[in-house]
Amino acid sequence: MTARAATDTQPIQPKPRSRVWLLLAVIGPGVIAASAGNDSGGISTYSQAGAKYGYEMLWMMLLMTFSLVIVQEMAGRMGAVTGKGFAALIRERFGVRPTLLAMLMLLASNAATSVAEFAGIAAAMELFGVSRYIAVPVGAIVVWLLVVRGSFRNVEKVLLGLSLVFITYIITAFAAKPDWLVVGHALVTPSVRFDPGFFSLAVALTGTTVAPWMQFFVQSNIVDKGTSIKEWALAKWDVIAGAVAANFVAIFIIVTTATVLHPNPATRNITEASQAAVALTPLVGQYATVLFAIGLLAASVLAACVLPLTAGYSICEAFGWEAGVDRKFSEAPIFIGIYTFVIFVGAALILIPGVNLIAVMILSQVINGMMLPFLLIFMMVIVNDRRIMGTHVNGRFFNAVAWLTIAGAIALTVILLGMTALGIGG
Amino acid sequence: MIYITRMMGKPVVDAAGETIGTINDIAISPGEVFPRVTSLAFLGPGKTPFMLSWRKYVADIDEDRVTLQVPRAELRFSYLQPDEVLLSHDLLNKQIVDTQGMKVVRVNDLKLSESRGQLRLLGAEVGVRGLLRGLSPRLETLTARLAKLFGGSLTENIIAWNYIDLLDRDLSHVKLSVTHKRLHELHPADVADILEQLAPNQRAKVFEHLDNDQAAEAISELDDELQADVLEDLTNERASDILEIMDPDDAADIIGDLPYDKAEILLRLMGVREARQVRKLLGYRENSAGGIMTPEAITVSAQLSVQEVIDRLRSTVEKAENVYSIYVVSDGRVLQGVVPLRDLIVSGPEVRIADIMSTEYFSVGPDDDQEAVAEMMSKYDLLALPVVDESGRVLGMVTVDDALDVMEQEAAEDLALATGYSQGAQGAWLSLRRTGSWALAWAVIAFAIAALVRNGAGGTPSPLTWVFVAAALLPIVLRLTEDIASRATSGLIEAPGESGRTGLARRLVADAALGVGLGVAAGLAVLAVLDVALKDPTVAAVFAVPTALSILLTTLAATVVAYVAERLSDTGRRVSQTALTAGLVLLAAALYLAFAYIGAGMAAGALAKMTIG
Repeated sequence: MTARAATDTQPIQPKPRSRVWLLLAVIGPGVIAASAGNDSGGISTYSQAGAKYGYEMLWMMLLMTFSLVIVQEMAGRMGAVTGKGFAALIRERFGVRPTLLAMLMLLASNAATSVAEFAGIAAAMELFGVSRYIAVPVGAIVVWLLVVRGSFRNVEKVLLGLSLVFITYIITAFAAKPDWLVVGHALVTPSVRFDPGFFSLAVALTGTTVAPWMQFFVQSNIVDKGTSIKEWALAKWDVIAGAVAANFVAIFIIVTTATVLHPNPATRNITEASQAAVALTPLVGQYATVLFAIGLLAASVLAACVLPLTAGYSICEAFGWEAGVDRKFSEAPIFIGIYTFVIFVGAALILIPGVNLIAVMILSQVINGMMLPFLLIFMMVIVNDRRIMGTHVNGRFFNAVAWLTIAGAIALTVILLGMTALGIGG
Repeated sequence: MIYITRMMGKPVVDAAGETIGTINDIAISPGEVFPRVTSLAFLGPGKTPFMLSWRKYVADIDEDRVTLQVPRAELRFSYLQPDEVLLSHDLLNKQIVDTQGMKVVRVNDLKLSESRGQLRLLGAEVGVRGLLRGLSPRLETLTARLAKLFGGSLTENIIAWNYIDLLDRDLSHVKLSVTHKRLHELHPADVADILEQLAPNQRAKVFEHLDNDQAAEAISELDDELQADVLEDLTNERASDILEIMDPDDAADIIGDLPYDKAEILLRLMGVREARQVRKLLGYRENSAGGIMTPEAITVSAQLSVQEVIDRLRSTVEKAENVYSIYVVSDGRVLQGVVPLRDLIVSGPEVRIADIMSTEYFSVGPDDDQEAVAEMMSKYDLLALPVVDESGRVLGMVTVDDALDVMEQEAAEDLALATGYSQGAQGAWLSLRRTGSWALAWAVIAFAIAALVRNGAGGTPSPLTWVFVAAALLPIVLRLTEDIASRATSGLIEAPGESGRTGLARRLVADAALGVGLGVAAGLAVLAVLDVALKDPTVAAVFAVPTALSILLTTLAATVVAYVAERLSDTGRRVSQTALTAGLVLLAAALYLAFAYIGAGMAAGALAKMTIG
């Protein structure tokens, strides 16, 4: 009867669509964030993990898939419930001083990742035979113009499409014919090596998988779309699917590099992008370098555009400054200042002669990994505050996984710093 | 002056001098221009929150503490009243709307002042100074001193209470103050300005406070891209009600931007008459007279008397957007004449319309270009222009406000095109689309040929490669220099003799910087592309350097030429901007080819030497 009445008052309903169609309609921010998350820092860290330690680090990726899904769900839910970005919530819940701390951490993490993206641009162009002293300044200007001119939205889809090159790792992994029993075993068996190299790579793995900026990005996307908490019930599957897909690809990168590069002691330590590219040989043979370079370039440019924008929007949101790419410098000086700063610092550091690009990419992810737990603590306090989230606070399971992630990330950092300070393992 | 950030956490001392807790919040009672502080919230032992009446118990407040009038035992605690606003909880760190500056800002601090024994809220500090104070008062004084040292000053940016509207807490039941300017009391154009700065959820909240008339006007004033977004967030019933109120031409614009399904639902919910009008308008091209016209033209028969027409106007004018003229039509709605409103009013009530209508009138067809229509209205000083179909039937009219919108839009596009110096991404895209794509296509083809020739020849670069590369790059140099030249000479478009022309030296310096920047950028781009395409650094360098040099020199030449031309035009002589631009582009081409020729010669010489050595 009630259904009858509802159709009477609103006679013209659109044709009922299947849930699958609706799912496709809401897909967006999550998949974008996750694909861009597999940026140059991610690719190099995953490649190095596979090449250096074989399948040994796979178990972490399995655990971190849960962490990433839950953290991204939390960020999106906060956006849907409050209609505000993460930075705004930090400011309103904690006040000025903690906000400054959080924003400095975000800026550091974004600037470091931005360095990695320009390292990615440099490495990819060097594979094409272009000197980094040309590629990086041109890249910086192109990225800056894409952001300022607002044409980023047009280019975004192309870059996203090109960076999907990395999905070929999934096929390559099968072409490389690993022993799947061993892989499966490694995926569920924790193993740890007590040397600083292992722990620094573990921190980098955390930092690149659950990168801090991605949480800001997902949340502000949900806010910009005006997703309500009702729609979130559906929209969250986009975020979850994106997170799972990104980690799925990451796991296959590790499997591929572990199968192709790890057996030979000479290729166990990746110091150049060309070495990482070799991992794609089983599938595409001599074209591995070109394919890898295209994917790396696209992913790097994409992330290099997103990162400074995320930093600019978040910081201005927290402090109430005007922001927007369509603003003139006199209207939004700080916003434009921040993204210009992030872009050009990133580019400038790569131009220091003799910088090892792969090392820079991984180091930036170590910084991300160190910042991550502290930003997650902010998130946990907010997402469990009933005055902010109402009935949508975390359940027990979410809290448990999130706090375990935080504890794990802090433990990894502490062990790494301890080992470095004490000089254990050389 | 007392600041809330400094007061938080300061001790609360009773009459006996005993500390009974720390300040947690301060409540005000809105309703005055500068609202009075009414309650003090503090944390007692064990972080238990308490509330006290300010008027009854507080004796004194200074920078270090709040002193109470009575000893602890005599205190009677109270509760937060529904009309009280908590400064720290409800205002500090929150986003507010500055209804005077039309901005959305964040409250960094709140300033209070004591006068005649009463503490009152002055306003919200939204500037950097409040932010620094929130971080550390010492940082604030230090920065203030530094600023003074450099001759500046760290000013406060205070928004008075009566210009604040809250976004977060729904205080609609609280009467904020007599003179309070609430968001929905502003002019719709101002409301639209603020709406553009808000996130979708906040926008929805503001819309809850607007009635349908205000909402319709505010939506009409929004940026085009936002209009559809906003409407999609409203319930279908409300959206259709609002669309009904809007002028049909505005409504059609918005509905045209909506997804098909949504548009169909809204159109069916709308009144039959309004929906039919909108559907008709949707059939016309966007940039045509039909696209900007309103169908609500007043049509009458020639047989009526003036009095009858005025009566009819009185009963129908509510629905019409604007009335400037009455259109006289035959039975088949075919336009026969026009009666300006003025003539109608000054004529006697018994006069026949047929006697006062003028049969000499302007009209346009629905497919005429909107720019032409706007120009026509401007040229003949028309307030409204009837739109008629091929058989002369009245379809609607274009009014002066629509024409103004068109002229503004077209002027922006034309300026971007004329100067090649666009204000936004759209302008750049337009100019690229209209003039630049051929250059790119040319370059790609020539490069492809050059790369093929090079691969075929192998070893040293063949003369053919040189020619192809030179040919490929030439259009790019031409395009760039054309932009530079038209930018430099764009001063000629402005009124001659305009004051404030800058001196030649200053312009040369400014433009030299631009030229170096552009030249280096273009040179680097050429270097990078050639290096990749031909894998030959020598060829790359030979072409990169001439590109950079010719662009730099042309920029400087353009500045000088433009300066001279402006002087000439100031003295009354006509100078053709097109001719100047063409001359400069030719100069650039000559320079580029000359440099490339010299460079190629040098490179060939060096190569020969290397082979001999």
